[in-house]
Amino acid sequence: MVHCYEEIFRQSADMASAREFPSATVDKRLEVIYFAVQSVERMNTLNKALSDISRIRRQVAHSTEFRGYGPATLGATGILAFAAAGAQARWLPNPASHIPTYLRIWIVTAALSAAMIGTEMYARTRRIHSGIADEMIRVAVEQFLPALGTGALTTIVLVRYVPTVLWMLPGLWQIVFSLGVFSSCRFLPRAVTAVGAWYLLTGLICIALGDGRALSPWAMAIPYGVGQLLVAGILLWSGKEERE
Amino acid sequence: MKTTAPGSEGRFAYEGLDRVIHERARLSVLTSLITHRKGLTFGELKELCALTDGNLNRHLRVLEKGEMVEIVKKFDRNRPQTVCRITASGRARYMEYLSTLEQVVRDAATVTEERSAGLAHRLAPSQT
Repeated sequence: MVHCYEEIFRQSADMASAREFPSATVDKRLEVIYFAVQSVERMNTLNKALSDISRIRRQVAHSTEFRGYGPATLGATGILAFAAAGAQARWLPNPASHIPTYLRIWIVTAALSAAMIGTEMYARTRRIHSGIADEMIRVAVEQFLPALGTGALTTIVLVRYVPTVLWMLPGLWQIVFSLGVFSSCRFLPRAVTAVGAWYLLTGLICIALGDGRALSPWAMAIPYGVGQLLVAGILLWSGKEERE
Repeated sequence: MKTTAPGSEGRFAYEGLDRVIHERARLSVLTSLITHRKGLTFGELKELCALTDGNLNRHLRVLEKGEMVEIVKKFDRNRPQTVCRITASGRARYMEYLSTLEQVVRDAATVTEERSAGLAHRLAPSQT
């Protein structure tokens, strides 16, 4: 489209400088240029209208409660956390001396949970928020992505450069996760704030443990298991209330 | 939104352009309400849409009849207050309207773009 306008203007400039056409041809060309300029103005108006529509969509998305998180899936990720803790208790009795295995267990659990939540979020948002689905998903991801990114980068830095304080990881993960929950609260039921507070509290307790006890399977299972079940319950209850 | 293949019958029917919404003042009222989740008071709505009391009342009645807004009368600090909110069906119809409107503008843009391309072709030196 831009090339098309550029071509119109380039050729009109060439024509004006050449001055080698018979007058009738020049008149005809001026007429064509007049319509070309009008076309450009019309395109500008249409593009402005399209950007206005996008702006309204964005505003609607920002003022709509996000319903893309499914209670059942969130509950399932809580159960998954308990299952991962069970696996750790069974096969990794001394996590402090097998940090790579400990990290594998919980990173795989987190990735599985993220995949489950993401897949359902995509489908639910398309169904529930038709018309603004893409915008809603973008807003939801924008709210949580900084926390996930921070958690991942903190893990990499601690594993690589400060392996002596790896016992802090569960606490830091929970604190960073709480920040993600807090930033998502604006578009979720108000009670979800309590879940953010829960993750913050458990994260601080984990750090307060001050040693390898923080790597206990229950230091991950209780915060994430209870937290995810709690948020699932809140979403289920608020969904029911809204239907009523 | 109903979409049909380009060139097919009803391509430009734009059935999603709801007659109730397709009026400047009502579009303005609905856009204000859809971007305020908790609703707006009559006074706030009047100010946002630059409408008179009578005009706003009339348009709100049309929207209420179409089940697109709900009007709740309540008391705030012993003063009567009218709060307007968009309903779930109003929200859905507004989004459908917006999608259709976007399609109308896109179709117009396509036509304008094709015309511009035609003009560029006519201006080519080989054509003179």
